[in-house]
Amino acid sequence: MPRFCHDFLQRLGTVPGLIMLGLVLFWTIGLIVLPQLSMLDFSFRANLPPSEVGGPNDVHTLENYKYLLYGPEGGSQRYNSVDLKVFFRTIVAAACVTLFDLVLCYPIAYYLGQTQGKHIRVLALLLIIPYWINEILRAFALRIIFGETGVLNGILVGTGLSDAPFDFIRNNYALYAGLGYAYILLMIFPIYNVIESLDRNQIEAARDLGAPWWRIHARVVIPYARIGISSGCTMVFMLTAGALAAPQILGGPSSLWFTQLIYQHFNDSSNWPQGAAYAVVLLLSCIVMVLAFMRLFKVSMGDVNK
Amino acid sequence: MNAWVGVELENLSIRFGDFVAVRDANVNIRGGDFFSFLGPSGCGKTTILRAVSGFLAPSSGNILIGGKNMKGVGPNKRPTALIFQNLALFPLMKVWENITFSMEIRGARAAERRKRADELLEMVALTGQGDKLPAELSGGQKQRVAIARALCAEPHVLLLDEPLSALDLKLRQHMRTELREIQKQVGITFIYITHDQGEALTMSDSIAVMRAGVIDQIGNGRAIYNDPATPFAASFVGENNVFRGKVVQIIGHEALIRTNRSGEIRARISTANLGKLQQGDSAMVFIRPEALDMAGADLEGDHYVSARVTNEEFEGDVFNIFMEGDGGKEIKVSLPNRGQSFESHKGRTVTLRYDVKNAVAMPAGILATE
Amino acid sequence: MSQLGSRIGVQIYLVIFFAYLLGPLVIMSVTAFNSSSFPSAMPWECLTFDWFRSLLQDSRIMNGIRNSILIGAGTVVLSVLMGLSGALVLMRIWPRLRATYYTIVIAPILIPGVVLGISTLVFWDRINRLLGLGPGSVLSNGLFLTILGQSTFIASYCMLVMVARLQRYDETLSEAALDLGATPAQVFRKILLPFMRPAIVTAAVLAFLASFENYNTTTFIFGEYPTLTIELSQKVRYGVTPAVSALAFIIVALTIFIALANEAIRRRRELVAAVRSGASVTVAAGGRVTLPRIFSGNISAVLVVAMAMGTIVMIGTASVYRPDQCIADLRQEKQLAAQKRAEELRRQRDAKTGGTGENVGIDPVTSPAAPPRSQGGGFETVFDPGVLQELGN
Repeated sequence: MPRFCHDFLQRLGTVPGLIMLGLVLFWTIGLIVLPQLSMLDFSFRANLPPSEVGGPNDVHTLENYKYLLYGPEGGSQRYNSVDLKVFFRTIVAAACVTLFDLVLCYPIAYYLGQTQGKHIRVLALLLIIPYWINEILRAFALRIIFGETGVLNGILVGTGLSDAPFDFIRNNYALYAGLGYAYILLMIFPIYNVIESLDRNQIEAARDLGAPWWRIHARVVIPYARIGISSGCTMVFMLTAGALAAPQILGGPSSLWFTQLIYQHFNDSSNWPQGAAYAVVLLLSCIVMVLAFMRLFKVSMGDVNK
Repeated sequence: MNAWVGVELENLSIRFGDFVAVRDANVNIRGGDFFSFLGPSGCGKTTILRAVSGFLAPSSGNILIGGKNMKGVGPNKRPTALIFQNLALFPLMKVWENITFSMEIRGARAAERRKRADELLEMVALTGQGDKLPAELSGGQKQRVAIARALCAEPHVLLLDEPLSALDLKLRQHMRTELREIQKQVGITFIYITHDQGEALTMSDSIAVMRAGVIDQIGNGRAIYNDPATPFAASFVGENNVFRGKVVQIIGHEALIRTNRSGEIRARISTANLGKLQQGDSAMVFIRPEALDMAGADLEGDHYVSARVTNEEFEGDVFNIFMEGDGGKEIKVSLPNRGQSFESHKGRTVTLRYDVKNAVAMPAGILATE
Repeated sequence: MSQLGSRIGVQIYLVIFFAYLLGPLVIMSVTAFNSSSFPSAMPWECLTFDWFRSLLQDSRIMNGIRNSILIGAGTVVLSVLMGLSGALVLMRIWPRLRATYYTIVIAPILIPGVVLGISTLVFWDRINRLLGLGPGSVLSNGLFLTILGQSTFIASYCMLVMVARLQRYDETLSEAALDLGATPAQVFRKILLPFMRPAIVTAAVLAFLASFENYNTTTFIFGEYPTLTIELSQKVRYGVTPAVSALAFIIVALTIFIALANEAIRRRRELVAAVRSGASVTVAAGGRVTLPRIFSGNISAVLVVAMAMGTIVMIGTASVYRPDQCIADLRQEKQLAAQKRAEELRRQRDAKTGGTGENVGIDPVTSPAAPPRSQGGGFETVFDPGVLQELGN
């Protein structure tokens, strides 16, 4: 280890080298590792008023995790069915949104990656533009469309397809559409990047050998694109499960997203340790899902984010 | 002009883990010489160059430049300049900025740098190209920029790592002459790394032939070509026909060797091996294709060889005749084309004549693989 | 599947896909020009530029923009520096440590933003308490926390950009510079940094945009420095106005403009490179070919110019155009409609007690001139005089 430091300093010069090593240490230890550990530790503590912090009552406890499972002590139900339901719905819905985005994006990514011509560049440009529009504004745009007085209801009612405006928001349609919409580009780009590098001759060869189009995809393109697919799926799933803006803006008042529970614990009920415990649960389930994805697609950490 | 600064390698060894890249090299390079390290790839010649320029620390032994031990002196403090195999021109700097980078480091003003750049550009025949980017130059032009950049640092020793290997044949031959001219002009020591014996022979005052981290022979081009010290040097530098056999008799500086296939032949013992050959030793005799000639009849004697012709080809300046040789290798004879008529001998056994002084005998050893 | 059929299928799919992608943004942009007080595009009322005016007068939005820029600048500096350092360390780190190190520095991209925000909040709060500093200390300052929290994961993005560039760096360039007498620090400054400049610029732009639009992390730590995104989310969550559409329109237009300008510059560079490499052979032709070709081969450049001119025209129109008359007409129309409906309702109520009032209020067939609010605002709002008042203002 000192040998590496020595080498690094010699390569970059002592002063810039030291500054850089310092920055990296600060980033990895001070911004990544310690805050996560600190949050983990915090999630095992009781919610105490500031005066009691560090006092005799400041002990580690499993209370916050128990709360997620069993709800408040002496509660009417055996399990904290409300929060658990929210948790599982978040995970399942995020998985469904991921699948939906994958199905929607794969043909586009394939088309963009395997077609040549000037219009591809234009289409790529068109893809990038919504990517840089604020997440909030994208949710807002969908709210304009799905709102009670929104465009969609305007069309439905105006054309007589429906005689009363449909409450897309209360029925979560807006939320799922918004979540699918929000991170769709993070599905396209990784797949597109990989498919673009696929030699067209491979497809031609498969076609020459008489393979039908679906078999070409199943045996040639998809195996080749699996790194991009897994990367896209991972990103979309993580972002969807961790989304906060879209549920806040597009979700109905009664249906919560798991992140909203965390948000409530921090901002509304000021129970930080409880919120931290929920955040740890979210983090752990995301890690489990990512590892599952990587196992499923047989890719390594280095391949993600390519 | 600089006082001529020589380079000495004293028992230089360089190891990477268990691998010995250079073993116990002792070389004394005279100041002002054009000195070449010649050897196949992987023989350790680039390692030596990197050690001299300071990028590698020797595992043992010393490097002296101008008599000063370079131990602990960084590459930026040594009086050497290296021309990299890939040239390593700075892609984002203009040609003139590239050339005068060493002046920029010393804090020279732009006008001064520009002036010096123009002088150097003129010297390497690139006048007026100073404002281009390296990417806009041809291979030969880049080559010259790299040379000018190295010279601008006013090194006492210029190190060149196969700088011509990326060029095409014509340009390579042209650049050989040019490099030699430049070396004469600036009068500093050039240390040149190459695997091309033609380059080494045409340009160098002195050549070190290397094999597997060991220096086999040091000498000028003629000595290396005419009087090789080892079978490797004999077979690596230029083409050579090898005859294996046992020493029958030592006659002064000559030896009579009974070859496995071509009868008894008489050869001069190479200078480095005088006194090292004994009767009964395994030996090798090397005769170059151009030193063999067709003899009229079936003559007997110790400077004649007979062999069956397997193939013939006409190469323009020479006729090449290939004959069955020893140990799977064929014997090649090159007859200069002076307009004489040429009759085919294919399938027949012919007798070849040679001068004893052109046949070199030495103890058997490892040959260079093609 | 026939060739033609599949091609048409692809075209249709493309159109639907891009409609899904861009449609919402277009509709949102359009609503910025509709005088309807709820952002809506369908029942078109009057063309207005008022929402832009009210946007400019919104001090919270303006303050949010200022905070966003402040935080964005801090985040850019910190994450570009950390990303560059991280990439350089990655290239040289002890091979056995590399995988672990890479996992650590990439993890922030995969950690949910909410978790990053919380961990930042909790960690620095604890440090603050350990050091015995009060609640007003730097460590609990929203600016400080937000920059740190955002940089945690934005630096990872920056690092990926840097690594991609660094992998193409030829290490012999450093050696050549050293050999020519440069110190390691000089090599870094004069060779490596200029080589990294494109990556640094890309990373900086990426970092700024990521910081500017971040919500999940920021929402826990912004403290006294609500960013534009935070302000927007507040606005969108608690009552929307077309002023937000106006802002969205500006952002969409800016994004398109920058994307096009970027594309135009790229095209131009390609053309110049092509001309230059050609020019080394025929020097004389170089200068004359360049100018016209840049525009003829460069649709993006033309569009950029067109957009700039469009903006000028729009601002010009906005400063002259007065939708007052239209709005006044509409108000009258609405009042009439409301009166008519009220009467009708009364009549119905008089005639029969069975029908629920709601149907009457909503059904557009029975009242074709119904103002848009009646479609969704619900029954009560139609009769709310405050709404009508608001429309007139």
